[in-house]
Amino acid sequence: MANNIAKKASGGSMFHIGRMSTVDLGEETINTEEQDLVKLRPSEIPHNEKLLSLKYESLDYDNSENQLFLEEERRMSPMMSGNQSLVHLWPHRPPDRTHCLLHRRRGGVPGWKKYEAVKHYIDKFTEDGGLSVSLLLWAILNSAFVMVGAILVAFFEPIAAGSGIPQIKCYLNGVKIPRVVRLKTLLVKVCGVICSVAGGLAVGKEGPMIHSGAVVAAGVSQGRSTSLKKDFKIFEYFRRDTEKRDFVSAGAAAGVSAAFGAPVGGVLFSLEEGASFWNQMLTWRIFFASMISTFTLNFFMTIYKGKPGEFSNPGLINFGRFDSENVEYNLYEIPLFIVMGAIGGLLGALFNVLNYWLTIFRIRYLHRRCLQVMEAMLVAAVSAAVSFAMIYFSSDCQPFKKDSQEEYPLQLFCADGEYNAMATAFFNTPEKSVTSLFHSPPGTYNPPTLALFTLAYFLLAFWTYGLTVSAGVFIPSLLIGAAWGRLFGILLSLLFPSKNTIWADPGKYALMGAAAQLGGIVRMTLSLTVILVEATGNVTYGLPIMLVLMTAKIVGDYFIEGLYDVHIRLQSVPFLHSEAPATSHWLTAREVMSSPVTSFNKIEKVGTIVDVLSATSTNHNGFPVVVNSGTDNESGRLCGLILRSQLIVLLKHKVFVERMRSQQNRRRLQLKDFRDAYPRFPPIQSIHVSQDERECLMDLQEFMNPTPYTVPEETSLPRVFKLFRALGLRHLMVVDDVNRVIGLVTRKDLARYHMGKHGLEEMDLAHA
Amino acid sequence: MRSLNGVLCLLFSLSLMLDQISIRASDASGDEERTASDFQENIFFPSLSLSMSEEQEITKYCLDLMHEYGRTYSSLASCLVSSARPVKVCQNCYGRNNSFQEVFANISTGMGPGNMSCEEVLFRSDRLMLLINLYNYLEDVWTVSECLNCLSKDRGSVSNTTLYFLDLHNQSLSCFEKYKQGNYSKLCVDCRPSYKVLNDFYSKMSNNNSLCIDIEDAMNMTRHLWSTTYKCSLQREENVPVIAVSSFMLFLPLIFYLSNYLHSEQKKRKLMHPRRVKSSHSLKNSQEKYS
Repeated sequence: MANNIAKKASGGSMFHIGRMSTVDLGEETINTEEQDLVKLRPSEIPHNEKLLSLKYESLDYDNSENQLFLEEERRMSPMMSGNQSLVHLWPHRPPDRTHCLLHRRRGGVPGWKKYEAVKHYIDKFTEDGGLSVSLLLWAILNSAFVMVGAILVAFFEPIAAGSGIPQIKCYLNGVKIPRVVRLKTLLVKVCGVICSVAGGLAVGKEGPMIHSGAVVAAGVSQGRSTSLKKDFKIFEYFRRDTEKRDFVSAGAAAGVSAAFGAPVGGVLFSLEEGASFWNQMLTWRIFFASMISTFTLNFFMTIYKGKPGEFSNPGLINFGRFDSENVEYNLYEIPLFIVMGAIGGLLGALFNVLNYWLTIFRIRYLHRRCLQVMEAMLVAAVSAAVSFAMIYFSSDCQPFKKDSQEEYPLQLFCADGEYNAMATAFFNTPEKSVTSLFHSPPGTYNPPTLALFTLAYFLLAFWTYGLTVSAGVFIPSLLIGAAWGRLFGILLSLLFPSKNTIWADPGKYALMGAAAQLGGIVRMTLSLTVILVEATGNVTYGLPIMLVLMTAKIVGDYFIEGLYDVHIRLQSVPFLHSEAPATSHWLTAREVMSSPVTSFNKIEKVGTIVDVLSATSTNHNGFPVVVNSGTDNESGRLCGLILRSQLIVLLKHKVFVERMRSQQNRRRLQLKDFRDAYPRFPPIQSIHVSQDERECLMDLQEFMNPTPYTVPEETSLPRVFKLFRALGLRHLMVVDDVNRVIGLVTRKDLARYHMGKHGLEEMDLAHA
Repeated sequence: MRSLNGVLCLLFSLSLMLDQISIRASDASGDEERTASDFQENIFFPSLSLSMSEEQEITKYCLDLMHEYGRTYSSLASCLVSSARPVKVCQNCYGRNNSFQEVFANISTGMGPGNMSCEEVLFRSDRLMLLINLYNYLEDVWTVSECLNCLSKDRGSVSNTTLYFLDLHNQSLSCFEKYKQGNYSKLCVDCRPSYKVLNDFYSKMSNNNSLCIDIEDAMNMTRHLWSTTYKCSLQREENVPVIAVSSFMLFLPLIFYLSNYLHSEQKKRKLMHPRRVKSSHSLKNSQEKYS
């Protein structure tokens, strides 16, 4: 019999007497319930950002200390502690091997093949006429590449769209994003990125790199692949959400460090963007993983470049080193950098606002897959057309230099022996263009070229982000920023001519502009500073970059939050920020919690359990286990918490009291059986329970978590929030003075409060 | 630093050319001083000291080499300077460079009587290390000019490719000369074939990495004449089709978005209303929403 006691709202007030002021754990008995969505009054509204989707669940970060766990710990304790940390260290290597392979394909083949072909045609048609043909050719080539990528993403794995950083951020926040760390996602992501980069979209491959790092780490840590149905029988102890999440944060760090050659930046990225839970051991492991990642990448790059053993390629993108003599800065330049930071913040906010509106439109109107593919193709075609038109009408010709970095110089209508500067910026992979903007000597680009380029690329980039293709936003932002930063530097030197070479070196201002723009869009400060310092190999610029990023963040936050947060909000993810919303102290657990709660007795009928689990209206995951105090209308006292996944495993193995009695020699269920089912527990529908078995009883005592976290009903929202953040909770029981469960707080109950324009606002729950 | 060094070297070589005799005289006197100091040093390292006569014999041999060095150096330097504009250093000076290199090789690796090398004595005996620095500078010039690309394998002559290029180059120039007086448009039409052959051949050489400064400079000058002086570069003639195609492409997404806005069904979300404890404290706006 489930204690499905609908506790009336008015009944709550009687528990005010003698409320407890401390969190009490582990007291037995009391009746409990679970968040229930019974009063269905479905109304439909268009998608907006003030929704929480029901499809997202929490990760079980909190360890269930049931009897099985204690037994296993007793058995394992001597060998576990040492073994685990050792094993924890080495699996991080494979991610990086993959990165290297990816890069080879990404950077290499599609890039030059396409540019070479297009360059050939443009050269030919410039002379003979028919340049519009080459424009069409370029557009069609781009669209074809992008079509392949978009079809892959839209039809096979929609979660692989975008940069993947928002998803990883959510995962590390404790939200289980479905399918985000699957092998299939990785494959689609990799192929998708190759296609979108080859398709000439205004995208980068660094975000996807971070995502794939996380996927590889998560996959490797499990020692098996469910998709490939292969179990290597290793790392079985990592088959828990807790361990997997640590691995994902290490994988993301390894991804950053491989992408930018910034191991410390990777660690800080994990810290800033991801892990809510942080301790020395985890930090050290992540750091180790990042370093190994850089090393491995470096090693394979040396082989790729034919010089094995000469380590000189720490990252996939190389911004070149700022280490000539004119890279210092003067004290009086610091205010200029801060101004640039402010500009970056403004432009970043503009970018985010535009992208926000566009994304809402996309979610509302472009939800059919073929439409998404079509949109991506259109963007690719327009990108090509815009680039072409700008190159065509640009009259910025620069003479060849012996050591110029242009791989595909286009002459077009320039005099012989000169090349089109606009073409250098467009007709190149974005990474190369960034490097060129950073390091080309002064005078390589004309101001009008840069201004036009910034404008065009800005529009293309905000239009592109959020398409159904795998693509990151790091490099496009850097490129936009580098372009206007360089422009800024050139204008400065025109306004205040000076013989001093340190003053207004355009490369330096390009770097600052890139930092400002990226900071204005993604609003990272700590990690981005270190990443940029490491990627450019210059510590001198640490302080200016930090100031620029800080200013950009402050200015940008005044208007709108960061791009990743915008997208998290638009996906209706119940994301817990680091702090509870301000002015929410007057809200108590009573008002926040869901009530009444569905709960089970310690010894419960199988039929009841199956019914509760398969009810479509209750997709709850945690069920309080209670001891009935006798009278039927009272809820029982809390004695534990059992998870849906545990119940399913129990049902699958038919751990019924009657059976245990009849078969004495039957093997007892171990923790291993739960781990083997992880992470894809079968749905309740797939478990067959016969009519006879429905009458059996199940003893939950052994399997439930006997000491779940509880709070008294008068606890304030910020206090509950802190518990959730710090402990990574999934369920928090609200109990009265005699330990009876009166409600249950989950992530969605907390995440729905946010600061809106008119003070504290509440978000609605919605079906996906 | 390097450029300063270079200027000094050039100055020095010029002065070398102007009066070699006086330099020889001063060289000789300097040499004597040096040997004297050498001798003094060797007192402190008796095991290394040599007998007086042997020392002088070696010095004589090395001295000869040094004079040879001075002669070839100055001849190479004067050749370089006189072929500086228009650049013809590779064609004109490769022979002198060869003999200079030969002398240098003799000094650095050759063995004199008594199986002693002059390298130590001539190149590394003092702080100035003049001879080696002079050599390094000329070697730099030679490397930067990439003359080796234009010479035959044994460096004894100009390569056939280069000769062919120079031939083409002359053809183009004479064509320019022929039509220079009249309208440039006629020049552009009539000289285009020969110019194009030249340009294509240059591109081919550039791909084969067989360019040297002579060829690059000749080509640059020709291109400059062609593009800037005679204004024969291509003009934008296809503005209309390019604009048409581009704007057509820009137009497509507009249609796409508009049609989707008008015809696509807007995605709706089904709201769920979670059951909560009703309380007097609860948010006002949430109550409004649910009522």
